[in-house]
Amino acid sequence: MFHAAIAALLLLNAGVALWRLHRGPTSADRMLAAELISVSAIAVLLLLGIGLAQPALVDVALIFALLAAVATANFVTRTWTLLHEESGNREEAGRD
Amino acid sequence: MSGLVIGFDLLLVAGLAWLAWQALFDRHRFSAVVHFMAFGLVMALVWVRLDALDIALAEAAIGAGVTGALLLAALGRLPATGGHSPAWRAAQRPLVLLALSTALLATLALAWVAWQLPRPGLAVPIAEALPESGVTHAVTAILLNLRAWDTLLEIAVMLTGVFLVWSLGAALVPYAPATALPGLPALTRLLHPLFLLVPAYLLWRGSHAPGGAFPAGAVLGAGGVLLVLAGALPWMHEPRRQPLLRLLLAAGLLLFLAVALGGLLLTGTFLAIPASMAGNVILAVETAAALSIALMLMAFYLYGEPGR
Repeated sequence: MFHAAIAALLLLNAGVALWRLHRGPTSADRMLAAELISVSAIAVLLLLGIGLAQPALVDVALIFALLAAVATANFVTRTWTLLHEESGNREEAGRD
Repeated sequence: MSGLVIGFDLLLVAGLAWLAWQALFDRHRFSAVVHFMAFGLVMALVWVRLDALDIALAEAAIGAGVTGALLLAALGRLPATGGHSPAWRAAQRPLVLLALSTALLATLALAWVAWQLPRPGLAVPIAEALPESGVTHAVTAILLNLRAWDTLLEIAVMLTGVFLVWSLGAALVPYAPATALPGLPALTRLLHPLFLLVPAYLLWRGSHAPGGAFPAGAVLGAGGVLLVLAGALPWMHEPRRQPLLRLLLAAGLLLFLAVALGGLLLTGTFLAIPASMAGNVILAVETAAALSIALMLMAFYLYGEPGR
């Protein structure tokens, strides 16, 4: 089962992103780790869709890809810039 | 080979448990929110492994996408300082214990009831009723025909949520991006057609394959959130367009109720759809519901009544 092996490898890869998600240290690091998990999940879904002969999984992957863009746009406009603007909160944006 | 599949599933479960723990108990608010977003992604993968593709679609669209956007926006509105709430007060401890033990007992009772459920469940009666329902996909048949009452009430609950947000919010805070981002309108212009195309595809697909009103509405709403971020929805705030906005917000519920009453008149049963027209009626209800769900999610995101 070639596809399952590659999917498991990608899942392990996403596990590394979990560590980054936990450790940070900046909020941008965390957001990028979440995006890495999202991209890995898309690849896993496409591989499983071929491996299990379930074309509907491509739809789930499509939704993942679309909503990852919304999440990033939200982060940049609503969280990241706000954290940087407030000087009293610089620590949260920079370090934590 | 089966060892590989079991290893894959174990990895998924371990990641899910870790993400859930971090989302609940991480001391840092932003970190907890991002862990929750990643939890939604892994949860969708778990639903795929459980062969529940409809729930995977809904989880990907609502759990991972829209809820993440809502939580990030809420994070931007919270005061910068403050942090975590203090520990429980002495008077609160018995209440917390009571709530915890009640939750534990309810979980045990539910597990016991689930164990006692008749096997093999309702799959066979539903498969028998499928030709009468107007669609060929079992989940859509259940959601919009066999158990349409549940879906009707779900949409009513969401509409009530919008009413609550509108009645609570004193004023809609002008919510422009904190810094000028010239790339955002361009990105929105480039991406938003996809956020219209994909919901249309999901709606059409819902009649014969995983899809349907809820994922379609969530993706449409996420596209709407993108438009809100870019400030590309001035019509929503114009006073003369408010009746239209309210009509669209209520369209799903109104059409659903009209179908329910029409069923009462035609067949004598509330919410019974005659088999000859069921396919078209279900598609119309799904379209209206998806539009309403998208606008409700955008209303939650705006967090206040527009036009004031």
